[in-house]
Amino acid sequence: MGELILDRLILRFGRRTVVEDFSLKVADGELVSILGPSGVGKTSILKAVAGLLQPAGGKILLDGRPLIGTAPEKRPAVMVFQKPLLFPFLNVEQNIAFGLRMRRLADSKIRRDIASIMELTRLTGLGRRRIHELSGGQQQRVSLARALVVKPAVLLLDEPLSNLDADLRQQMRDLIHKIQARTRITTLFVTHDQAEALAISHRVALLLEGRLRQVGSPRELFHRPADPEVARFFGGTNFLEGRFEKGALHTQVGVFPLPGFNGNGHRLTATIRPEDIVIRERGPYDLEGRVVRTRFEGMATRVWVQSGNTLLVVLTPDSRLTPGQRVRMHLPPEKIHVFPPPPDERRA
Amino acid sequence: MTEERRPIPLKRLPRTGAVRPLALLAPALIVVLVLFGGGLILGLPQSLGYLPAAGMSKISLKHFQRVLFDPDFFSSLGLTLYVAGVSTLIAAALSLLAAMALVESPRWLLFIFQIPLTVPHLVIAIAMAFLLAPSGMVARLFQNLGWISGPGDFPLLINDPFCIGILLTYVWKEIPFMTLMILSALKNSGMEMLDVGRTLNAGPWQRFRYILLPILLPSLGAAGLIVFAYTFGAFEVPYLLGQTYPMSLPVWAYRNYSDVDLAARPEGIAIGIVIAVGVTGCIIASQRLARGQKRRGTVF
Repeated sequence: MGELILDRLILRFGRRTVVEDFSLKVADGELVSILGPSGVGKTSILKAVAGLLQPAGGKILLDGRPLIGTAPEKRPAVMVFQKPLLFPFLNVEQNIAFGLRMRRLADSKIRRDIASIMELTRLTGLGRRRIHELSGGQQQRVSLARALVVKPAVLLLDEPLSNLDADLRQQMRDLIHKIQARTRITTLFVTHDQAEALAISHRVALLLEGRLRQVGSPRELFHRPADPEVARFFGGTNFLEGRFEKGALHTQVGVFPLPGFNGNGHRLTATIRPEDIVIRERGPYDLEGRVVRTRFEGMATRVWVQSGNTLLVVLTPDSRLTPGQRVRMHLPPEKIHVFPPPPDERRA
Repeated sequence: MTEERRPIPLKRLPRTGAVRPLALLAPALIVVLVLFGGGLILGLPQSLGYLPAAGMSKISLKHFQRVLFDPDFFSSLGLTLYVAGVSTLIAAALSLLAAMALVESPRWLLFIFQIPLTVPHLVIAIAMAFLLAPSGMVARLFQNLGWISGPGDFPLLINDPFCIGILLTYVWKEIPFMTLMILSALKNSGMEMLDVGRTLNAGPWQRFRYILLPILLPSLGAAGLIVFAYTFGAFEVPYLLGQTYPMSLPVWAYRNYSDVDLAARPEGIAIGIVIAVGVTGCIIASQRLARGQKRRGTVF
């Protein structure tokens, strides 16, 4: 079992508050990513769960039992750090066995557990290697194996992939995903890489400026961001402001039907992702504009289009567009996401 | 998953750019080579009995034999090893504690801690004599407080058989040096390793025994060997604060060398060469330890 509850957690360094009122419930066997830019307090949250940082306020509960006040070595939570932090004076097997040896388990059990975890983390055959003989990816796998072998109730992963190159990162991401699916260990995964968080997690908690901004499934955060800042974090650049009247959003650049939305007279902000805007030569269109700039990105081309006084960014497979060219754009109504208006701005 | 390639061992990599560091080190290297190497070159023939000024020109190992078979040699060697070993061990143990206390301390505290590094051994030895002699400041303070009735009641701490004054001088002087050596290893992932240990259920003693000691031992060993080598070969502190018999090896070497009888000089130099061999051995061992640590440190 490993249901983890963080309740109104406050973390401070001296007088500086890094995390404020952070609440999150992680179900048993769930993998939740804490996502956010560098320096917002993601690692501090993990350290608080591990017991390496004393919270200034709030509660941490594991299966209903409070963890605050329990020494880190007595908590059933293991942390994997950004750097592998393997013990250089031990070989691979000895590193993996470290936690088991600290628990004074029998040698036969230690050997069995090590063999099984090395197979799971694809380290079989490397047991006698010295740490400096391993590649970066292998070192991080040993670090993961060392944490998993003690069968923690909660696994805390602090950007374990950030020091790896792109290929290894992808491989390790898949490995962590598979291992978590198989072991069902409750996992908190910290990352600043949105693609990583979206690919690996059951749910994502977005932390901006020390505050939790949105928690939800990867699809929810990506397609239904709670506010413009969340949208911006996930690459949202197109924001349309206007008033909702008679089933449509009336903006300076055009009128966009919003079927199923209620609230006449509300001032609203809506967004549409760059890849959801369709540039078309024929057929109905919503907006016209002039190409200002283009950037080829391989699978797609990013195009900046000036329409009235609004600059829209479009991601299109068409790489032939050039600056100065006039284009027509279609904004599918089902792709337009309207942010819930703040309570005090509903009828501006 | 594809099998990852093992990193190329360091020794296979081409060694480039060795000339520039050598050029930058040249002034210091020249001084060391001229003073140490020159002294050895001039001293070696004399230790072998070649001293025309004293009418000796026959080369042999008899002066080394005389030194090594002199009963005083072993008592001097024992005393020198005792002073070097005990002061190094005490300084190492205290440095370990100091490093753990200082690892997260403010920089100004570290700065204050480093001040003894700048004070010469000679100055500290004289200060110790002023403080700890039977007529010294501590004895007078104790007398004024009524704890002792006169200098005769004060324990002998200078020129004493246990070399207390010498040990205190070396310990006070070497702790900052050894602490700084350990501190750099501790700061270089040492504290993070301890955090890893904590989350892997290692208790305080287990963290000390299974993480801290193995991490710090190479640095501590290297620093200890340097300190041991220095104290083994140092002359001024035992000369000022040591007893008259037995003498430490460097003091015995000096006495022989400065004897009015020129015939004693080859033996003085022979003792000096024995000391130099010991010191060189310590330095080589220290370098090997440091190199091993550097190699292992690549995973940090």
